[in-house]
Amino acid sequence: MSDVLAASPPRSAKVRRRAAFLGVLALCALALVVFGPMFLDRFSINVLTRSMIYAILAITVDLLWGFAGILTFGQAAFFGVGAYATAMLLTHVGSSPTLIGVALVLAILVPVMLGLIVGWLSFYYGSTPIYATVISLVFPIVVTQLIYSGGTLTGSSSGLVGYFGLPLGLEGFFRLSGICLVIVAVGALVFVRSDGGRILTAIRDNETRCAYLGLNTQRIKILLTTVLAGVAGLAGFLYANASGVVAPENTGFVFGTELVVWTALGGRGTVLGPVLGTIGIDYLSASLSGELPFLWQLVIGALFVVMIIVLPNGLAALVTRLTRRGRRHAPASAGPELVAEAPVHHKKKIEGPLLSIDRLEKSYGSQKVLEDITLDVAPGELVSLVGPNGAGKTTMMRCLTDGKETSGGVIRIAGQNIAGLVPNQIVALGVGRKFQVASVFESLTVAECLRMARAALDAPSFVTASDRLGLPSAAIEILQLTGLDRLLSTEVSLLSHGQKQSLELAMVVALEPRMILLDEPTAGLTKAERTTIGTILKKLTNELGFAAILVEHDLDFVRDISSRIVVLHQGRLVLDGSVDEVVNSEIVRTIYSGGDHV
Amino acid sequence: MKIPSLLATVTSVMLAGGAFASDDPIRIGVPVGLSGANSVVAPSVVQSAELAVEQINAAGGVLGRPMELVIADDASGAAGAQKAFDSLVFQKEVDVLISMETSAARNAGLPIVSRGQVPYIYTSFYEGRSCNPYLFVNAWVPEQQVPPIVDYLNAEGAKKYFLIGSDYSFGRGMLEFARSYVESTGGEIVGEEYLPMDGSDWTAIISKLKASGAEALITSTAGGAPNVTLTKQMRGAGVDLPYANLAVDEGTAKNMGADAAGILISASYVTGIDSAENKAFLDAMKAKFGDDLRTPNDLSVPQYEAVYLYKAAIEKAGCTDARAVLDALDEVSFTGPRGTIQMSKQHHAPLTMYLGQVQDDGSVKVVGTFKDVDPGEQCPKL
Amino acid sequence: MTLLLDIVTTAAILFIVSAGLLAIFGVLEIVNFAHGAWLTVGAYCAVVAGGLGLNPWLALPMAFVTGAVLGGVTERLIVRPLYARPLDAILATWGLGIVIGQLITLWFGRDVHFTENLLSGTIHVLGTSYSLYRIFALAAAVVIGLGFAFLLEGTRLGLSARAIIMNESLARALGLDTTRIRLVTFMIGTGLTALAGVLLTPLTSVDPTMGVAWLIGSFMLVMVAGSSFGALAVACLVFGGAQVLVSTFISPILGGITVAVLSALVLRISSKGFARV
Repeated sequence: MSDVLAASPPRSAKVRRRAAFLGVLALCALALVVFGPMFLDRFSINVLTRSMIYAILAITVDLLWGFAGILTFGQAAFFGVGAYATAMLLTHVGSSPTLIGVALVLAILVPVMLGLIVGWLSFYYGSTPIYATVISLVFPIVVTQLIYSGGTLTGSSSGLVGYFGLPLGLEGFFRLSGICLVIVAVGALVFVRSDGGRILTAIRDNETRCAYLGLNTQRIKILLTTVLAGVAGLAGFLYANASGVVAPENTGFVFGTELVVWTALGGRGTVLGPVLGTIGIDYLSASLSGELPFLWQLVIGALFVVMIIVLPNGLAALVTRLTRRGRRHAPASAGPELVAEAPVHHKKKIEGPLLSIDRLEKSYGSQKVLEDITLDVAPGELVSLVGPNGAGKTTMMRCLTDGKETSGGVIRIAGQNIAGLVPNQIVALGVGRKFQVASVFESLTVAECLRMARAALDAPSFVTASDRLGLPSAAIEILQLTGLDRLLSTEVSLLSHGQKQSLELAMVVALEPRMILLDEPTAGLTKAERTTIGTILKKLTNELGFAAILVEHDLDFVRDISSRIVVLHQGRLVLDGSVDEVVNSEIVRTIYSGGDHV
Repeated sequence: MKIPSLLATVTSVMLAGGAFASDDPIRIGVPVGLSGANSVVAPSVVQSAELAVEQINAAGGVLGRPMELVIADDASGAAGAQKAFDSLVFQKEVDVLISMETSAARNAGLPIVSRGQVPYIYTSFYEGRSCNPYLFVNAWVPEQQVPPIVDYLNAEGAKKYFLIGSDYSFGRGMLEFARSYVESTGGEIVGEEYLPMDGSDWTAIISKLKASGAEALITSTAGGAPNVTLTKQMRGAGVDLPYANLAVDEGTAKNMGADAAGILISASYVTGIDSAENKAFLDAMKAKFGDDLRTPNDLSVPQYEAVYLYKAAIEKAGCTDARAVLDALDEVSFTGPRGTIQMSKQHHAPLTMYLGQVQDDGSVKVVGTFKDVDPGEQCPKL
Repeated sequence: MTLLLDIVTTAAILFIVSAGLLAIFGVLEIVNFAHGAWLTVGAYCAVVAGGLGLNPWLALPMAFVTGAVLGGVTERLIVRPLYARPLDAILATWGLGIVIGQLITLWFGRDVHFTENLLSGTIHVLGTSYSLYRIFALAAAVVIGLGFAFLLEGTRLGLSARAIIMNESLARALGLDTTRIRLVTFMIGTGLTALAGVLLTPLTSVDPTMGVAWLIGSFMLVMVAGSSFGALAVACLVFGGAQVLVSTFISPILGGITVAVLSALVLRISSKGFARV
């Protein structure tokens, strides 16, 4: 059951145009690689075959680093493992069509399994981006060392040579590598433009927000690492066949850094940039080998440094920036059609309070920040949490959404103890959290941000970009009240501060939570915006039965909208009562008048 | 198979095309490690090739045609070698490849050599048993280098040997042979240790060596840095056993100063060889390169001789056609600085080996000469 | 006994090599991936000093000054724009490392260079004869460690640096010139690294790529140590010890990757590494 709320011009024409453009591009590229050997000399065929295989790797680096923000030096190792799996099987077991088939399977499967391990090592709750980079550095070093000490099994430093792979010949390998490159590139382009693919950019922009939208970002990153390890393994298989030799340097971290350099110079986050960068630089360096070996590396190195500092998104980004500048003046396209969806989540009624806090405690070392907090919140309540700076309000919000934060006591949400749960699991219980500083995705559009909020409930497609956006009607109402419904295809970085706050609120509501936690939602907003937010909050709680907990300094605002007020002071709950009780109490006046003694 | 036959046609047309134009130079491809690990010796290799070509051209060339060198950087590794070989074989369309390279680079180049059907003379000593119809080797293998050293140490009374190497094909290959040779001559191996090629901390290995009661030490590290770090750290730890180094060249030993004194080296070339050919060669090098001269060594002199061996093979074959040249290559010989060289034994060459000892002033004194040492069974199928 | 000396001196050398990296990472939270290049620069200072016929010990101050000056230029031109982008800083400094390596190659050539030994010979310690230089390295490590302790605890600069580590915006609000403190810290870090390069010369060859071998090990140690010199000392002892033990009793090949693998595992278990020590 869904009904169209906002009539906007259909976007499908544009989507179709883009798909057609991509199709034509792919066909041209295919024609180029199929007919290329007829016009190229053997030297170029040979060199370009390898360059194209490297370009497949560069695409995987780009997806990881350019899109998902995971700086990796490890793709070389997956590539090397795939190549070695192929070469070792063909050298030591023998060569037949069946065995080549087995080699292909192994070349993908072994890196996939290693990718799973590396992913598991790199990404866990609380892991830092730099740690993933560290692992991606250690992994190829270990693999290379194993190959060196492998004796005749791996050929040690000399590598393996003289096995018989696919009987394709120069032109055949050129075409095969080219076709694989086109397939991987098109696949990557389709994926990164799909609704599902935008998750990578969302993770890069703001991983915390992703987790608080109920997405298991760690699992997504592990999955990405695993799949791309398989792609790298496939490239390794191609390489082992096409070049007829594998060597330790194919797996090393120096090659891994080279891939990053090519990706950076081509333009990270563009898929095509790294492809062109890799093919261009690799071909040039082959042509220039012999002349100026050291100067060549010097130039590449210097170019790389300048690029990282001045133009972090590479040459391709410069081009798109220039073209986009022209486009910015054109009216933004309407974006997807908003569709109201019936709630899919939390239909079950719960018994007892929605939130139940029992003697919550939080301490840093010997310093207690929260002590003996006991509190119940029922559906439909709008509870405001007030207290001077340092009273522990934000800490308490954090404890409610991260089961690893508390030092003592029990928090139950919808009856379940959240001890040890990570944010995305708590979100799944029906908690939405709005941060103090608007936490949204700067490089996504408004519509894409909202779609991220639905991703955990309604798995997005990894192939298409939908021209419909299904949201709970409450979220749509927020958009309409704040005018964001007319800005669906606008990039978030162009929104005003207040618009971002509203967008975040809409995203949180789109999660279909039972309870919303809001940390100073009105800070820095204009009077009008404040009133709008207040109206929305009242409606969510009074009419739709959400529970809301609000941290707020603006006592007038609190008085207007709250059904209950809780006062925290020096980590303790000092008062819990109706608006009138609290506002008129002696304690609150003392606290807020600056008197520190209760 | 359609494609290979097409390739064969292209290649033969290309080669035949060369044969018709008599002033068209004969092109010698030299893929060499101008950058990377080999870049220390590469310049000396290029220099000796340049001298050979200059001398041959000054004497009227080969079959009335001049020779020409085409140098390409293989970056001392597999990936670079692929580019260099591709460029030389398919872009520059050279008639032959003559070069000193790492084993990884050689292996990476071989499939390209087979595809392009170009003769390839490998001029670097190596761990042995690289076999390919297009590949000839005029430098030593373990079977030629190790026995003189072990025999000498045995004669000095050493029975207990300790082996230290870098963990790579050459290091392991040499020491594997050394172990079997030591054991076959009645000695005992009391330790065998390897460090990764880029490793620079030999602490644990040196402590083991000191505790092992060894009477002699044989090392086979990667050339350059590992060799120097090991020697420095050993001398720092006070190791003064009889010490044979399978991988140090004369120039490096000279530069190492006092730390190198006493080291035994075994080579097919040392500058001190007392022959007319060697004197003429050294004089010509000095005259051509003057102050820029890189000391000729066991890696650069085979390069010089290989150019002459190739010349002899063309003259015997009467053309530069690959098949005919390959057939002639093991039948021709050349007498150069290292004596008379013929790649007659399964594409490898019997060589005269010299045992040298580094003196306190860094010079190398020849303490033994071993005539025409056989390379043994390298490629029985060729 | 030798084993114990091996462990302690190996730890000392690791400490000397990674101290400069730690100074930079600890205060600036920037990983200087050109670390290997600064070691190389230092070692070439020893080569130049030898070429000028100077006393080899003079190479130490010379390297410190050279490293610090070049480090100052680097901070200003390359690192400063990247404080907010730590991953990009890794890449930019890695690129810088390539550039420095190639410049050294163009200037000095690819060849291995030799320097006069600072100290040679052996000494009798604890009943065995042991490399005198390694014992000296132990002393040098202690001096560097104590020097840093003094710098951090006893000087104004140290106080400011600690303030930045704890809370940068607060430090700025208190009127500290954070830009200048960052610059000085970076210079001290690179100067110290170049000094370490000189101290390495009696143990290694001097060639344009010599630093790379030390980069990963010191990087991992610093990751584990966080921003504390005490933690770095502990990490060097534990992992250096593990490296010696693995090399001695299992295989030197595995020994070569011990530090990297163990550090990665320690960080996986506790993301703060040894920083709480």
